[in-house]
Amino acid sequence: MTRLSIRGVGVVGGFGCGLEAFDRALVSGVASTMQVTPVPGNESVLRSAFLADTAPLEEFLNKRALRRIDHFSRLALLGSHLALQDAGMLGAIPERVGLVIASGYGALRTTFSFLDSIIEDGDSCASPTHFSNSVHNAAAAHVAIKLNIGGPNLTVSQFEMSVSSALLTAQLWLEEGRVDHVVFGGVDEYSAVLGYCWERFLGSESTEEMAPFDLARQTALVGEGSAFFVLSREETASPYGAIDRVSLGHLSGGLPILPKDPVYILGADGHRQCSAKYPELVPQGASVASYAPLYGSLPVGQAFDLAAAALAMRDGRLCATPGHVAEETDWQIVGTEELGQRDICCLKMDDNGGYGFLTVTKGRG
Amino acid sequence: MAIKEKLKKILVEELNLEDMTAEEIEDSTPLFGEGLGLDSLDAVELVVLIQKHFGIEIQDMEEGREAFESVETLAGFIDERLKG
Repeated sequence: MTRLSIRGVGVVGGFGCGLEAFDRALVSGVASTMQVTPVPGNESVLRSAFLADTAPLEEFLNKRALRRIDHFSRLALLGSHLALQDAGMLGAIPERVGLVIASGYGALRTTFSFLDSIIEDGDSCASPTHFSNSVHNAAAAHVAIKLNIGGPNLTVSQFEMSVSSALLTAQLWLEEGRVDHVVFGGVDEYSAVLGYCWERFLGSESTEEMAPFDLARQTALVGEGSAFFVLSREETASPYGAIDRVSLGHLSGGLPILPKDPVYILGADGHRQCSAKYPELVPQGASVASYAPLYGSLPVGQAFDLAAAALAMRDGRLCATPGHVAEETDWQIVGTEELGQRDICCLKMDDNGGYGFLTVTKGRG
Repeated sequence: MAIKEKLKKILVEELNLEDMTAEEIEDSTPLFGEGLGLDSLDAVELVVLIQKHFGIEIQDMEEGREAFESVETLAGFIDERLKG
């Protein structure tokens, strides 16, 4: 299949805005969480969450242009602008560009605001703007309009497999020659309803620090943000490398053929039931890292793993897994070390045996 | 609160006109085009907001077109419907 050259990267999350902020977080290993109150009317229950600030979007779009655009779409707009700026394509978008956005939850805040408005004011007084922003592909529409991306446009939602699934589409479009570039990104947002659900389901196991390799413990903290990429057919080598292979499947179909001796960036994000699946696929002794403690747990976390892999390729070094690292594990947990000639495999597993992985290799050409 | 002031507050807060305050909106400023710069989606939103805040349904778009010229015309329309 066509190798996807990574030409630009744009990220926003709990660590801040932009690649430099993400790189600082990776190097320092310091997580930046905020406190949320997940129980309505009870200010005494506080939980840590990785929340993203979209204020830097005003560097690209004025307030008037943003007035009908909700937080979810702002996350997508900020990530996509940053990625295109990084690729040197902002303001000079070529004609044959496609857009694929992955999201596990979609625009949660607007969706629930819209539903609340129906309950409170009746369906005849429900906000048309809220409705139009609540549909899953609203963010992709806003991005395409603001950035003048005129090619095919798709939003993919397959919960934790959303990123791998959406990447397969991006790869197909480039393989078929439908487009020359794809703006690709993953977006998910925090909402009060999501916080409430986490509290109801996981509140008794709440923690202040994520420990992704304590596979038997529930240590997830909720996160939000977006990670975008400009992907092209590989004609010249990019310092960020290229996505060589994307695979999506289920363990019931047999074990997939994994790349040989890569560094694994696992999507293990502190959810015990999902974490328990990784040993079924990742061989003993494999080199593994997890950077979820820097951006939190969100269905499109794999997009942030891809950003971490692209930075590792660019800089030729790996950053240590942040947070609490289990002492007993069958894997080699990477520290701050040279990447060498190794490839990086970003692997995400769900609690049902589904898997999605992508392999990032050095650029060629 | 007088209808005009309430309308201006609704325009700024519910249509997210973050770059202006209610006090900055003049009674005669056109709502659409060169005035406040509202567009067709705002018009639909405004129909819903009028119903929500004043209990007035605008079903005839010709009627709405005249009413939606400015805050002044809209306030007059609402006042008339409330009295009628």
